[in-house]
Amino acid sequence: MTDEAMSEMSARRRFGLGGVPAQFGLAIIIAAFWAVFAWRAPGFLSPFNLFSVGRALAVDIVIGFAQMAALATGGMNLSVGSIGVCAVMTGGYLMQTLALPVPVAIFGALGLGAALGWLNGFVIARSGVSAFIITLASANLYSGAMLILTKAVPLNSLPMEVGAFGKMKIAGLVSPLLVIALAVGLVLFVFYRHSVLGRQILAAGANARAAKMSGVPVDRVITISHALSGLLAATAGMMVVAHLGAAMPAVGGEDWLLPSFLGPVLGGTPLSGGAVAVAGTMLGALLVTTIRSGLLVLQIGNYWLQLYLGVILLLAVLVDRYRALYQERRGIPMR
Amino acid sequence: MLSIRGLVRCSALLGLVLFAGAAVASDNKIALIPGGPHPYFKPWEQAAADAKKDFGIAAVDFKVPSDWKLNLQTELIESLVAQGYKGFGIFPGDAVGINSTLSELKGNGIPSIALAGCAQDPTDAAFCLGTDVYRSAYLGTKELIKAMGGKGNVVHLAGLLVDPNTTLRVKAVETAVAESNGAVKLLQTVADTDSQEAADQKINALLAAQKDEIGGMIATGYIPSVVASKSLRTLGDKRIKFIGIDDDPIVLDAIKDGFVSGTMAQNPYGQGYIAAYVLDLLASGTCTVKADAPWIKTPQTTRFIDSGTLVINTANLTSYKDDLKKVTGDIQSKFKTTYLTCK
Repeated sequence: MTDEAMSEMSARRRFGLGGVPAQFGLAIIIAAFWAVFAWRAPGFLSPFNLFSVGRALAVDIVIGFAQMAALATGGMNLSVGSIGVCAVMTGGYLMQTLALPVPVAIFGALGLGAALGWLNGFVIARSGVSAFIITLASANLYSGAMLILTKAVPLNSLPMEVGAFGKMKIAGLVSPLLVIALAVGLVLFVFYRHSVLGRQILAAGANARAAKMSGVPVDRVITISHALSGLLAATAGMMVVAHLGAAMPAVGGEDWLLPSFLGPVLGGTPLSGGAVAVAGTMLGALLVTTIRSGLLVLQIGNYWLQLYLGVILLLAVLVDRYRALYQERRGIPMR
Repeated sequence: MLSIRGLVRCSALLGLVLFAGAAVASDNKIALIPGGPHPYFKPWEQAAADAKKDFGIAAVDFKVPSDWKLNLQTELIESLVAQGYKGFGIFPGDAVGINSTLSELKGNGIPSIALAGCAQDPTDAAFCLGTDVYRSAYLGTKELIKAMGGKGNVVHLAGLLVDPNTTLRVKAVETAVAESNGAVKLLQTVADTDSQEAADQKINALLAAQKDEIGGMIATGYIPSVVASKSLRTLGDKRIKFIGIDDDPIVLDAIKDGFVSGTMAQNPYGQGYIAAYVLDLLASGTCTVKADAPWIKTPQTTRFIDSGTLVINTANLTSYKDDLKKVTGDIQSKFKTTYLTCK
């Protein structure tokens, strides 16, 4: 696939039906939810709640990015949570047991996340088995290994600055974790839009065979995408460590699976690969976090929450399917 | 001049105002939050309602996270803070992970108590009120050994391995067994039986394979206690002695019919009732927690209060609830002077 073709395709995909940006509708829905929650639940806009929402959003955004990186290739990563918790415990071990400086420990944890993701990608590319099967297996493998090595003992004597960073408030309202998530988003946006490797990943995800014939090293970009996914999952893990001020084996895991798909899919990243929506993933995560917080503040969320999130994911998938059919009928190039 | 009718109206209004003042002595909103849905916490609901009425608190609510996940619990707590709740009694979804939330609560001037399970020190929970799990498991094992005639093989049905309380219970059972000087042997510790499915599979497999070798079993979790009671009834085996935990009707019926020797009662009602009372005092700013109170030290915290435990057997099957209420009343009536400094 030529660069011109990819440019044209990605330009058309950035817009949804009728030339309106795909994320515009999502932004309107989010604004409507904020208006309703602010009206019906006075505590929703309290500084405490806004800070809490922002901090939870930061982690959800990066978890969404981790899944988005795998979706870009037309695959998926079911081991996002397992890689996250492995990074959490590794970071904690390096900081607490080996007493390494915090930046070194973070670097080590992120490195492990990237390595575990790379392993996923390597096996997928070499074996030709679907990402679903490989990452389902590796999710259990990584979690099991983590439990064996750590004996499920949490590490709660991390350096004070780790927990302090998670509690820090910029201008009394904004968590620095949210700033990190936005910065990661910016880097990903530039990567997918302006780098050769980013465009090769999208090309391989859109049509692996065509990409291969155009000279794209498909196996390599799949491996790199999964390494990126692992790196982002580890980043989310380290953000959780900062939030909790401790490294716990109970975080991540299956709990991250639903939010990892909700953000990118709601934001317009197709499950079939070939395109990513960085800003959309952030908006998707914002919608989910907004609904979760709003329903809780309205005191109707406890048992209904999972149901709402499931319905929203189902609707997003159906919309994604409709969008694909619409593009097919209108002759817009498909993946 | 004020007419008789006007006087009556004024008196009625004054009476209403005074009544309202007496009915709601404090405007605090208190929440009791378990780690997730579990039958153990059901008495907290009644305790919340009773404490609201008895102590004139504006609101005492029992709020349950939809699942046993720390993030769901912390999100629920954060949403309740946004709604103006001023005190929290919390069963930590994770003994370590809950601490960052407790610090943030404290930072916002909101007191919290770890309830039924402790947060790991260092913690900003005012204290931990719960069953002394080590003591309960130790006494239960002693009771079991007595029921077995002082000899035989014991199996321990334990809860989640990742729960620090499980480690304490395992140690307690091992200690009680060791004190028999070899007359009693710990055959096996079957862990992670704290879900219905896992408990069903593990306990039934155990009984199918090793029934004849087992002289007694002790369960230190609610679900294995119920499952083992059912299994022993199904087997019709009264030879294997069994000590359970908590007072599920299935366990109590099995005690009545002789399939179970006894069960270790905890005091969840008392935990909820006392916590609401104390949180109201702390949130009002009228009382603070004494540093030099007679706290019990546990491996998790240096500020622990035992909410009471006793053995239920055929002798006190009908009266144990009164005994627990007496324990609750005793702790509550002495709490202010023993553990708090009040203006």
